[in-house]
Amino acid sequence: MNKMKYKNKRKLCGFMYTIPWIIGFVLFFAVPIFKTIWWSFNSVGVSENGGMSLTWAGFGNYVSLFTEQVASGSRTFLQVFTNENTNLLVNTPIIVIFSLFLAILANVKFKAQGVVRTVFFLPIVLGLKVITDLITITTGGDLVSRGNGLFSQGFAAMMLLRYTSISSDIILTITSYVDNIFQLVSRAGVQTLIYLAGLQSISPSLYEVAKIEGATTYESFWKVTLPLIGNITMFVVVYTIVDYFLGSSIATEVYSFAFTKSRIGIASALSVVYMINVLLVLFLVLLVSKKAVKKDV
Amino acid sequence: MSDKKNKKPNRPPKPFKVVAKKSIVSVLFGIMVAGMCFTMIYPIIKLFPNVFGELTDLGNPDVIWIPVNRSALSFTAAWRFTMKEGIMTLFKSVGYAGLITVIQIFMSAMVGYAIARVKFPGANVIFMLVLLVFLVPPQALLLSQYIHFQHFWFFGKEINIIGRPITLYLLAIFGFGVNQSLFVFVFRQFFKNTPKELEEAALIDGCGFNRTYLSVMLPCAKPAIATVAVLGFVWNYGDTYYTGYFDPDGSYLGVILNTAFQSANEQFVINAIKTWYKLPIANAFAFDAVKQAGALIYMVPLLIFYFITQHWLVENIENAGIVG
Repeated sequence: MNKMKYKNKRKLCGFMYTIPWIIGFVLFFAVPIFKTIWWSFNSVGVSENGGMSLTWAGFGNYVSLFTEQVASGSRTFLQVFTNENTNLLVNTPIIVIFSLFLAILANVKFKAQGVVRTVFFLPIVLGLKVITDLITITTGGDLVSRGNGLFSQGFAAMMLLRYTSISSDIILTITSYVDNIFQLVSRAGVQTLIYLAGLQSISPSLYEVAKIEGATTYESFWKVTLPLIGNITMFVVVYTIVDYFLGSSIATEVYSFAFTKSRIGIASALSVVYMINVLLVLFLVLLVSKKAVKKDV
Repeated sequence: MSDKKNKKPNRPPKPFKVVAKKSIVSVLFGIMVAGMCFTMIYPIIKLFPNVFGELTDLGNPDVIWIPVNRSALSFTAAWRFTMKEGIMTLFKSVGYAGLITVIQIFMSAMVGYAIARVKFPGANVIFMLVLLVFLVPPQALLLSQYIHFQHFWFFGKEINIIGRPITLYLLAIFGFGVNQSLFVFVFRQFFKNTPKELEEAALIDGCGFNRTYLSVMLPCAKPAIATVAVLGFVWNYGDTYYTGYFDPDGSYLGVILNTAFQSANEQFVINAIKTWYKLPIANAFAFDAVKQAGALIYMVPLLIFYFITQHWLVENIENAGIVG
């Protein structure tokens, strides 16, 4: 009897701990989402007493999204979205593989390991959008790769272009990535951290077994490491995508639609489409990776 | 890489081929690591010649690393642009980030603990909602939140709390600050893996729920707290989204820099330099130099913070609960 009482009290206390979050969820998440969706189907104006006046507009706002220009320059809404999604699709795999690579390097035991790890996590600090924005030079090419095209105009790339039969498109794509390596590095900080944590959670005895069985380091990477960090990879992919959308310029468009042009209806529609876009991408990614990885969070 | 093994006595000397292979591998490895490190530090190093060179020297193709004439002019200019209240602006933005981070740690740990350890009905639902909040980008909610804050209901009165720091504190207190659902997630994963015996022992010793949490479980969570503290401070200090929209006129260095050095302001900045320092030749290069000086000022507290705390991050990642 006493135990039951204790358990109930514990449950109550536990629930109490989450109350602030639940209030926050309602105030700052649930209500805003429903309001945004509601407004997106209305044309919103200002009524006489200063409040909002709503008139049902059906899908009108969504239609005008496709016909009107968004704020920044002469780009249409579709262009902005296609750009963001293609960038995302191209960059996510590269960032993920790159951060795994960095984590593996940081996980090897050697003398300067501490220093190297410190430097490897530096992108967590340097990758902040404010900083990357500030340190790019607007006039004389990028600070990040001044002597711009350090690699793509360098000797190695020239030799590859001239004396091999690899298509120049492929070489140029690869070299442009090498040139912009800081862009990648600056987005890979947290992912490297997650991967390193994952790598360290793999029991060393597994590698010993693999070694005794005669596997090379290369083989044990494919047969031991990769299967065991499947879940973590999924988390890293999701994080990369979420982080990518966080840096999106869409907030500027929403803001200018709503408060410069006072078209709250269209701004809401834009928000909704944007949200659906993000969730759809994440859903597809999870669906695909669920086939590859057995999932348990 | 494996000097230790080779130095052990009573081992037959390894054949030359193996030794050669090993040393080649370690040299290659060293080059790779050094290259990676260089890539990451390069942008910081590259700031210095630009910032501390004389403004007239900029754009001179002969000057790459060591400026011919050194001057701190762009530095002082950047200081004048960004520090509206002198050094206090810097202290204020650091203080803000620190305070918000503490609030975030406290609130996220509470929620994370409750949904990880207490099996009250709905705990899993809350966890799912935390994940949902993590996945939905805050920009999609910007408009509605903004209007919500403009007409904030406060004990029967409607007040506009946009442009007041209280908005940001409210968001953090109720769990919706910068990336806060991620922090809840980290704490949840961490507490999920702490042994049950700890709580049971505390119960036998007569601790109530709050006492157990505050004096047993929370001190246990040091690795998770360390990780969240580092990330939280960096992200809050670097945040321009929440601060920029909800308190645009506050003293947040990130926002100030962002608005002062946006590309639309280029001409304004150049003109200011021309009149302040009587430099009629100031051009776009000067704008860049001043902008980068701003970046340098901005980075100093961050880098200091990072170098002090990074070992928490590096030492604790294993147990931090990022990997559940």
